[in-house]
Amino acid sequence: MYWTRERMSEEVYNLIVDCCLNIALDANELLQKTLDKETNNTAKSMLQTMLDDAKMAIKVDKPICQSPGYATVYISFGENANLEEIKDIKEIYAEAITKATKDGYLRPSMVHPLTRKNPGDNSGIGVPNFEFNFVRGQKYIDHILSFKGCGAELANAMKIMTTAQLGKNYIGLKKFIIETALAGGGKPCPPYAIGVGIGGQMDVACKIARQAVSIRDWRDSNPDPMLKELEDELCEKINSLKIGAAGTGGETSCLAVKIEMVSTHTAILPVGISFHCWVARRGGLRFYPDGQKEILFRRN
Amino acid sequence: MKEVKLSTPLKEKDIRNLRIGDVVYISGIICTSRDMGHLKMQDVIGKGQKLPVDFTGGVIFHAGPVVKQKDNGYELSVIGPTTSIRMEPYSDFVGNLGVRVIIGKGGMEEGTSEALKKYGIVYLQAPPGCAVILGEKVKRIKDVFWKELGIPEALWVLEVEDFGPLVVGMDSGGNSIYRDIKIKGKKLIEKMF
Repeated sequence: MYWTRERMSEEVYNLIVDCCLNIALDANELLQKTLDKETNNTAKSMLQTMLDDAKMAIKVDKPICQSPGYATVYISFGENANLEEIKDIKEIYAEAITKATKDGYLRPSMVHPLTRKNPGDNSGIGVPNFEFNFVRGQKYIDHILSFKGCGAELANAMKIMTTAQLGKNYIGLKKFIIETALAGGGKPCPPYAIGVGIGGQMDVACKIARQAVSIRDWRDSNPDPMLKELEDELCEKINSLKIGAAGTGGETSCLAVKIEMVSTHTAILPVGISFHCWVARRGGLRFYPDGQKEILFRRN
Repeated sequence: MKEVKLSTPLKEKDIRNLRIGDVVYISGIICTSRDMGHLKMQDVIGKGQKLPVDFTGGVIFHAGPVVKQKDNGYELSVIGPTTSIRMEPYSDFVGNLGVRVIIGKGGMEEGTSEALKKYGIVYLQAPPGCAVILGEKVKRIKDVFWKELGIPEALWVLEVEDFGPLVVGMDSGGNSIYRDIKIKGKKLIEKMF
């Protein structure tokens, strides 16, 4: 086996550190574009500070944001994957997160949900969160790691809508999303991206909303023309509310809206809305059967 | 809109002169407190005991730092604001302590706006997520209390220089940028469809 536990641990540790020190290239590019067209002076100053912060983090080898957010590891594989290579993956990530915490890259932020006791090293039940996905024919094993900020989580919403509430031209759906953005204001660290999950059941809608905003490139174009149109319309309308960077006014609060959709039952229309702060800490590794490794979401 | 440099302990007069949109830089001492920290403060005061820090003319920063443990104590790595709305239930309590400035992100609601007016306090918006830039403005960790609450929730006493840029999001005259945006936004949504 090429990827021994020891070698894999090293790769995973480096991936974690890389995510703590960098924002994804797409987020960085969209922030710069936002600054270029901003007219509000407060928003300009906030955006410039964000871009400076992102630059400085790498230079001084310190985490870009004090909060590491909530980590999810998305693993995907095909029928020919050597599952031996991922059998220890949960322990490898948990150990690497603890080590990166001791090394000062992650603040110890994970606590017992009821007692609120903090073990001090980001260890705990279900840390990090894992999602495994079987993709027929995929020759490689992919790891995508996302640290999703939790101030942004405070603005999230979900609703089991009905056919009547959906409305003509989906006005009910659009209003729900735009009103959620207005209620969120500056809480989710704008400029943010919004993931919207439509369909399934409660958990499915929320999960695909999170996946959309955590995994997808914020600059991509939805292959479904109807969803692409909806994404563009929602993004434009949310920005017209002038919430602005940091939520203190300005031209842009929303960098992108990303919609994922699955079928649902005829009685319901579940909608999940998941915000992602501007600090898009997302990284990935691809492992080929011949031992080759590729870094996903390359910085440059 | 004006740019103002302030030093702790802060005077009520200087705070009451600030208006929404003004940019502030603070030098002196600021203290972190968030969910568990506020609960702990209430608990201590409720028992008739004294807080480890005198908040008269002081600053509460809704934040939890990243720190490194050294032989002679802690060294601050980075620090940035956390979402303030969670501390909304404590606004009057905090006002009673003599606090003059609350720093955080995302703004607060009407209870806080009332307390800001009543006691002469401002709410300052820090650049969200900008923990390295803000961390550079912290000269040293002066003290830490209640470490048993965990690193993010402990009461960190920080010595800062020109800490900012901080934007007055809510002032002591009852104004709030966040409220203004919400009122305008609601009207815009009504006209949207």
